[in-house]
Amino acid sequence: MENALGISGPQAIMMAITASFTILGMVMLLAAMLMKARWKPSYAVEFVFVGIMLGLAWYGDLTSVKTYTAYQANLNAEERRISGNYDGLGEEAFDKVVTVIAFQWGFGFINEEEEISRNALMVKPGETVLLKIMSNDVIHGFNIPVAQITAEIDPDEKREMWIRAPDEPGQYLIQCVNYCGIGHAQMKAWLVVDAGEENNGENS
Amino acid sequence: MATMEMDDPKMGNKVHWEPKDLLSGVSLKQILFSNDYRYIALKGIFTAFIMLALGGMFAIIFRTELAIPDVQIMGARVYMTLMTLHGMVMVFGFLIPMVVSISYYMIPKVLGTERLLWAGAAQWSYWLLIVAAVLLVIGRPDFTWTAYAPMSTRTGNPLIWMGHVAILLVAISEFLAGAVLFRNALASKGGLKNTPLIAWAAGTIGLLFMVSTFPLGFVGFGLLSDWAEWTSVAFFDPSRGGSVKFFLYVFWTYGHPAVYLPFVPAIAIIYTIMPRFLGRPMWSYWSGVAAFVLLSIGALPIGPHHFQPLYTVAGDYQRFIQILTMLVFIPSVLHVFNWISSLFMGPIPDSARRAIPFKFMVFSIAFIVYGGATAFLNAQIAPNSDFIHNTYWIPAHFHAMFFGFAGQMAFAGIYFLYPYFTGRMYNQTLGNWHFWLWQVGLFVKITGMGVAGYLYFPRWVYDYLDISGWATTQMFITIGGYMVALGFLFFLVNLFWSAKHGKEVTGDPWPVVHDLKAAPAAQPAE
Repeated sequence: MENALGISGPQAIMMAITASFTILGMVMLLAAMLMKARWKPSYAVEFVFVGIMLGLAWYGDLTSVKTYTAYQANLNAEERRISGNYDGLGEEAFDKVVTVIAFQWGFGFINEEEEISRNALMVKPGETVLLKIMSNDVIHGFNIPVAQITAEIDPDEKREMWIRAPDEPGQYLIQCVNYCGIGHAQMKAWLVVDAGEENNGENS
Repeated sequence: MATMEMDDPKMGNKVHWEPKDLLSGVSLKQILFSNDYRYIALKGIFTAFIMLALGGMFAIIFRTELAIPDVQIMGARVYMTLMTLHGMVMVFGFLIPMVVSISYYMIPKVLGTERLLWAGAAQWSYWLLIVAAVLLVIGRPDFTWTAYAPMSTRTGNPLIWMGHVAILLVAISEFLAGAVLFRNALASKGGLKNTPLIAWAAGTIGLLFMVSTFPLGFVGFGLLSDWAEWTSVAFFDPSRGGSVKFFLYVFWTYGHPAVYLPFVPAIAIIYTIMPRFLGRPMWSYWSGVAAFVLLSIGALPIGPHHFQPLYTVAGDYQRFIQILTMLVFIPSVLHVFNWISSLFMGPIPDSARRAIPFKFMVFSIAFIVYGGATAFLNAQIAPNSDFIHNTYWIPAHFHAMFFGFAGQMAFAGIYFLYPYFTGRMYNQTLGNWHFWLWQVGLFVKITGMGVAGYLYFPRWVYDYLDISGWATTQMFITIGGYMVALGFLFFLVNLFWSAKHGKEVTGDPWPVVHDLKAAPAAQPAE
């Protein structure tokens, strides 16, 4: 499992800042415990720290927006094309459009022919699939590890995301990741990648 | 030695506590119903130990389940119940009551009032919490501590109303506890310039308790009303005109201050015991005061950062919350800087290096640095679309803060108070075992969770695929959990054994001795 951005780009700067702050704090604590030389730090040092924090809040906000854009661009990049948010530019671009209904406790998948499959999303290898995800009871999560998407859907609104099916035929996990009641752990479905010729008319 | 400085009352370090065996010759009735602050505190602390043992046991069971993928030792239903109870019992049963009870004991001591004002309210606060706990055990609601609507009204459990009433009772109980803390802080004779820092902590957090429990009470009432359909238009249930977003705003207006409710009293313990061990006042009084005030003000508006990733919108409002969240780092940095400077500005006495509570304190500072600095990532909207939100990164953060810092500070307080409660000193060897098992175990556990989060491991799953890295990190977290449990067993043995067989203590149990080799006779516990 890799992160979409890995250890590079604007996110890497944030990770580096985080790591150096952790190390700085630990070194200061170690020095306070072990160093021979001792003196009373002046208030100026503390003000410098506050100044750094103010700067980091400003910088963190700025970079966060940049990172978010980079993240979206990365997801939509031609060479990856695993998943992303739907930009509303037309459903024709996708090989398949599926309405997903998350409920207590399971997932229903409705394809363009209005055929409903419970707990199996049938796709062909490499297909791009637009998912319109909704919930009509409680807040649910929607996570496909292999496609690296995680979303939460509340009953008030609809989420539209797309994925590219893996090239390797097989069954891949789809799961709810937001606690939604006692049956939460069973709220699983399969992304079934089937290389077979026939259409997914015989869902079970 | 540094007696003059030690008597500086606003630093909370006056030695006016006498070791005493509080438990001998005391009837159970007195412990349960006495309004003496020492018994109220003892009762609260003991109840918190029971809760910790329970919550820890739940954790050990489900950590065993998680250690190996695809091997089931329990059903999903059991797993989820254990997980829910673990969270609720640890936060509402162990952490908050534990640090509040320690405050009930420490504030009258430090202020010299020798009694807890509004002790009746503290009594009510305790018993209401017990009623809430009983309701939770009977009703067995499984909506987790966040009780997200409308899930929490639709579990199909006919006893679910007990859970809603329990939320309401927790709100009232915490409100009363806050009122008691606030009232006792006002009892300080020092005025604005000389009030001990523990009273500043109690005053600010008491106010925050009182303000923030109103939304929680409304959550309990609203859920009950939605469930029973008392109103034609629901508050939270969207199928009857309610709004899930409204629920989130109300809940997290309590929920974010709620994370400071155990946090600030734990900080106050540091300001109280650190000067005692070092034999000198804290580095700065005003830095501490400013930090307490800023932390309380900053806590209220930033709840919406908990919505992620439900409303992951990089809009102006989200950016506003993001900036505010990062600004709340400032008071925490002021606190940590103050502590490290206090340690650094003079020699650290041998007696302190040897004392178990001091060791716990130093390492809990290390954990607040670890959990706090990594939280710089949590505050930002951007990385959450990737690996932060709804993955194990979040448990890593709050276990570092809640357990690594607040929980360990509670134990520093317990070890510190041990001679004052029993008249005897704890066993040093057992204490060291407890200490090291916890530091190593916690570090392994928290780091393992962080790595699992980075590997995109989702929260709230009871089984998982054998994806590379997932099984290894889960195994590490489980091993860390076992070490923590083993450490707790050492503590329990120590707690009961030393109460009977520990060295008797008279006078100050924590004398400041700079060179133990030069003055072996003045070792602590003599």
